[in-house]
Amino acid sequence: MYQAVTIKAGKGGFGGPLTLIPTEIRNKVVSITGGGIHPIAAKIAEMTGCPAVDGFSTGVPDNEILVAIVDCGGTARCGVYPKKRIFTVNVLPVGQTGPLAKFITPDIYVSAVDESCIELAEGNLEVKKEISSAPKTKEQAKAEVAKMNEGKPKNLATRIGIAIGGVVNKFYAAGRETIDITIKTILPFMAFVSMILGIISASGAGDVIANTISPIASTLPGMLIVSFICAIPFISPVLGPGAVIAQVVGTLLGVQIGLGNIPPQYALPALFAIDAQVGCDFIPVGMSLGEAEPETIELGVPAILYSRVITGPIAVLVAYVFSIGLYS
Amino acid sequence: MEAIASLANGFMDLFRAGSETFVAWVTGIIPLVVIMMTAVNSLIKLIGEDKVNGVAEFATKYTITRYTILPVLSVIFLCNPMAYTFGRFVEEKHKAAFYDAAVSFVHPVTGLFPHANGGELFVYMGIAAGITQLGLPLGDLAVRYFIVGVIVILIRGIITDRIYAHMSGKK
Repeated sequence: MYQAVTIKAGKGGFGGPLTLIPTEIRNKVVSITGGGIHPIAAKIAEMTGCPAVDGFSTGVPDNEILVAIVDCGGTARCGVYPKKRIFTVNVLPVGQTGPLAKFITPDIYVSAVDESCIELAEGNLEVKKEISSAPKTKEQAKAEVAKMNEGKPKNLATRIGIAIGGVVNKFYAAGRETIDITIKTILPFMAFVSMILGIISASGAGDVIANTISPIASTLPGMLIVSFICAIPFISPVLGPGAVIAQVVGTLLGVQIGLGNIPPQYALPALFAIDAQVGCDFIPVGMSLGEAEPETIELGVPAILYSRVITGPIAVLVAYVFSIGLYS
Repeated sequence: MEAIASLANGFMDLFRAGSETFVAWVTGIIPLVVIMMTAVNSLIKLIGEDKVNGVAEFATKYTITRYTILPVLSVIFLCNPMAYTFGRFVEEKHKAAFYDAAVSFVHPVTGLFPHANGGELFVYMGIAAGITQLGLPLGDLAVRYFIVGVIVILIRGIITDRIYAHMSGKK
């Protein structure tokens, strides 16, 4: 017998409270947290009586997922499941951010969740049913309006007007999306990295970095080693999330290139050396977006992780060959 | 009193360097990126996803196009992370390799098309900032990053495909 639970947002969190009602089909608590079952996932599984599944190594069909537990810093994972309208619990305090921010709504998503946020659902669950039927009537109303308008013939002027309006609206929407991503992801990243860079340069730690990173990043063997380390199968999924580490390292290398400690033509191979792990944290989610079967995902995760050990260094070699003649 | 004042100044200096970097980035990087992103986003909205779908279905048939044209199109038109939904055009046994190719292109694309992965610009921009500081032009690096990116995703697609085939054969 399954138990319904209510999950509310923790300190600094967003969204919720969500009421999870397991059914015979929809009863898997899926933990997509870079391997292993997250303690929160284990807790929810225990309280609901549902099985907890490691979504990183085992694929689960979308219609069987009761709730997805993620530890996403705000780039992709936190939006993917809300977009599919699957209940999502983020253990990190992340609100509506990332490219899928518009799908992250309080009715499907809750963040900063710790164990104290989870309670057995109280009272009559029929209340929930009423809520979920409300949007349907709205859609019905929309359909009715559309039907009413269908019958009316439009004259030429109206049609031209609508066409122009449509194009202008697309430009406007493009601008709005751009500004959204600038404010929600680009500017916060700039703020945090420039703070770190400032402290590094003002405190003198910059010299240490110059003396350690620069010699490694200005030789081919050094970069091959970096790419190999980034691609080691149990390290690569940890380095992945949000490409934050690659971005910070990229910025540090950029500073060294600017200072002349690393020759500029090494920029190209360096871009690949620090990025051998790209997307390794996201394999099950990315593949499920491509509608891969659970069995395919189970094999696909190790296949990609092993492949990177080979292709990471190869990428550096290719980039090294193509850097010949760059800035010389 | 003076000691406290100089301590406070030192504390402020710690952050002044950061604020200078921040202003340089906001004024130097954001305006161009915003205009580029708006332009490409508009173009993509005008073309529409439906028209790309036809090309995608064709590109999935051949190994070479499956790991070059398909991921490049998907990343430019759908951006990270929706690009991976193009996996639905790909046969089941190639889905892992396609994901590997597509995800490996979300950074090489940013040199020329920053809109495709606005949240992770600094892998490229961070290194590019150093090149700019030396007074060198960025075009060459961006183009080469894109080309090497296409070559790398092709290699990655083929190798991951082989590994996947080997593993599923064993099973």
